Amino acid sequence: MREDTIPHMFLGKVKKYGDRVALREKDFGVWQEISWNEYCRHVRHFCLGMVEMGLSKDDHVSIFGENEPEWLYADLATQSVGAVAVGVYPTNPAQEAKYVIGHSESIFVVCDDQEQVDKVLEVRDELPLLKRIIVTDMKGLRRYTDPMIISFEAVEEIGRKVEEKDPDKYYRIVDELRPENVAIMVYTSGTTGPPKGAMLSHYNVMQFLPSQSQVLPQYDTDEIVSYLPLCHVAERMMSVFLPLYSGATVNFAESVDTVNRDMAEIFPTFFLAVPRIWEKMMAGIIIKMKDATWLKRKAYEFSLPIGEEISEKRLNGEPIPLSLRIKHGLCYLLLFRHLKKELGLLRARVALSGAAPIAPEVLQFFHSLGVGVVEGWGMTEETGIGTCNRPGDIKLGTVGKPIPGVQAKIAEDGEILLKCEHVFVGYWKDPEATARTVQDGWLYTGDVGELDDEGRLKITDRKKEIIITSGGKNIAPSEIENHLKCSPYINEAIVIGDGRKYLTALIQIEYDNVAKWAQERGLAYTTFKSLSQNPDVYEMIKSEVNKANRDFAQVETVKKFRLLEKELDHDDDELTATLKLRRKTVYKRFGDIIEEMYGKA
Amino acid sequence: MGILDIRHVSLSFGGVTALREVSFSVEPGDLYAIIGPNGAGKTSLLNCISGFYRPDRGEIMYEGTELTKLRPDRIAKMGIARTFQNVELFSNMNVIDNMLLGRHNFFSGGFLRNGFLGYLAQEETEHRRKVEEVIDFLEMEQWRNHLVANLPYGVQKRVELGRALAQEPKLLLLDEPMTGMNVEETEDIARFVLDVHEELGTPIIMIEHDMGVVMDISKRVCVLNFGERIAEGTPREVQGNPEVQKAYLGDEYEASMEKERDI
Repeated sequence: MREDTIPHMFLGKVKKYGDRVALREKDFGVWQEISWNEYCRHVRHFCLGMVEMGLSKDDHVSIFGENEPEWLYADLATQSVGAVAVGVYPTNPAQEAKYVIGHSESIFVVCDDQEQVDKVLEVRDELPLLKRIIVTDMKGLRRYTDPMIISFEAVEEIGRKVEEKDPDKYYRIVDELRPENVAIMVYTSGTTGPPKGAMLSHYNVMQFLPSQSQVLPQYDTDEIVSYLPLCHVAERMMSVFLPLYSGATVNFAESVDTVNRDMAEIFPTFFLAVPRIWEKMMAGIIIKMKDATWLKRKAYEFSLPIGEEISEKRLNGEPIPLSLRIKHGLCYLLLFRHLKKELGLLRARVALSGAAPIAPEVLQFFHSLGVGVVEGWGMTEETGIGTCNRPGDIKLGTVGKPIPGVQAKIAEDGEILLKCEHVFVGYWKDPEATARTVQDGWLYTGDVGELDDEGRLKITDRKKEIIITSGGKNIAPSEIENHLKCSPYINEAIVIGDGRKYLTALIQIEYDNVAKWAQERGLAYTTFKSLSQNPDVYEMIKSEVNKANRDFAQVETVKKFRLLEKELDHDDDELTATLKLRRKTVYKRFGDIIEEMYGKA
Repeated sequence: MGILDIRHVSLSFGGVTALREVSFSVEPGDLYAIIGPNGAGKTSLLNCISGFYRPDRGEIMYEGTELTKLRPDRIAKMGIARTFQNVELFSNMNVIDNMLLGRHNFFSGGFLRNGFLGYLAQEETEHRRKVEEVIDFLEMEQWRNHLVANLPYGVQKRVELGRALAQEPKLLLLDEPMTGMNVEETEDIARFVLDVHEELGTPIIMIEHDMGVVMDISKRVCVLNFGERIAEGTPREVQGNPEVQKAYLGDEYEASMEKERDI
């Protein structure tokens, strides 16, 4: 049997595992299990249904919704035809969704509920190629008589009827697939300019999976919780493709708001989070411990240094004395076990941070608790991670060594270049950008960094975001920003200073935690705005900034800062769907405040 | 004849007349709004339907049964569920338990039989499933195990709606479901009311002050003023009715209208 395309790999696993659980979805408060056979049946029927409705090779299908099994069915069904599956962020406002659906020339869009359907209908007149809107949850849509709308079930039913007459049709369609066919298109988040559609072929994915698995092996006993947006390449790999390779079980959280609780029910063994989530978890624990009873607080204050000590020794590969082991064992029973349980990380065998740079302090914190978070780094354009710290071989502050099959080198200007078999096919309808990005087989990543003696990569920053002060110093803003964000009271920080004499920052407070802080002191506030304008809050943040400044050289310290009076928002174009900063928009919007900090009011 | 017929209902407390000769009928599949200024008798009317008050005169016919002589629990058993203007939940119980209470009428065993552990476990599983369907419907997964007392007001109102839905009502009475909510919460509840109406097809009688919502979602509107019905019709008809405008905006409005006419 062939194993060179994603659907073939899928069919192989279906044959191997049959009635074993492939997916779990929490529905009506109970985890409902979906076996590999059922998984396959959904994919087959949906695929045949779409073919009957006019889908053919090289067409595009957009999938616009939260994570749920239907997302995966639609994804694999589309790829089975040789068509291309495109993910759209469920948080995208109508205009951004329109860009992706329109630019990709999708003929179908699969929506999860009324909210997304309404967004599509809003911009439908500008999407001439769109033929059908397929909806998984028809709630609230019964009165829509639009002929374009059809339910997911109805499409599966069409497919079921086709299969009844011609049981082998699906398998014949799949066998037409060639590895070089494009499987998925992933739109980059677009911190600068409009998003670009990176095309990844079956070959890319099939090359990538074994090499990642050599570094971070996943087994068929692993449990994954799928909660990050599936349109991002990292989560797509994590909860769609890797499990097809390993046979692990994917669990879908009930809703975005219940991820924490669901984690504590599943206890995933293989867990990926973005730095923002790690930061939030850390802030959560710190704040909770401030609130805890005297005894608990003492236990925390006693245990954490021991955790730090043992994790440091482990990271450096030093021998661990017996006395420390015993103390640590006590602390584990006393505290760490409970904290890990609370976070849902009790069983986490592999915990990964990726998609954005993370401050080493955050990683250190989790290592102290006994959660060995490893940082990886990669790009959409090379199908996932390119370098990664291996469990047991971690150096904080670096993103580890290249995974097998990946070569890395540093260009003269410091840009990191990669070469591997899973470098993408190119950008959709943008050969110029493709030519700029891939030269002589080397992928120009746009990140600046250095390789150390052991071959570990250290990322400085995005090439475009490096700040050069008027004194000529090169400064990586994200390092300073991440340092600031380690404070439980700071949610977002934007460091400014390009062409200026000194660095300044715009800071967005972490509303919940600062609100709590203010309440304890009896400070009056009503909204986010009034809280951020409170002079006491300013002073408190100032001491947090000073604390962070201590770790940097004089030129790298933040001299002045202002608190933002509103929360940055994807809807207002200040953040991307992955909550990355759009610096240009932010600079423009808060231009007055920035100028004021440099004394030109 | 509709699913609910209110015929010449009058109610007074001492010398104060709360309702005077009010009549209307609710059709199957209706989303019927009752509006009117404070003290117009809206809640009194709802209380008459659900059996909390007994009208002095007139009759209320529900599927061929006269309700005015029945106790509230009998009326609830007939499939009429309601929510209250001020949230009436058990605040020290969690969301699930509050909603399970809505299933009370469907429990086959009495207090004692329920007391025997495991005796009715199978039945409880079914009820729990029904409650979970409501939780799914109202998107309340994240609050499932929270104590009601710790929830924001807007969510508490949603729990109350959930408890009413857990009764699998054939007629739903909502007393000011959007009061005290911010814009976003109001939009949420309005959408849920519409969903109940369209997905489950339950006829709804709703008292509401938020005119925007009433005009947007209701099919028919009845206007009460000082216990009397002064208008009935589609939202558009009612909006154009001069008597309604007077009741709502008072003499000031009339004066300004006259001024306009003078000009």
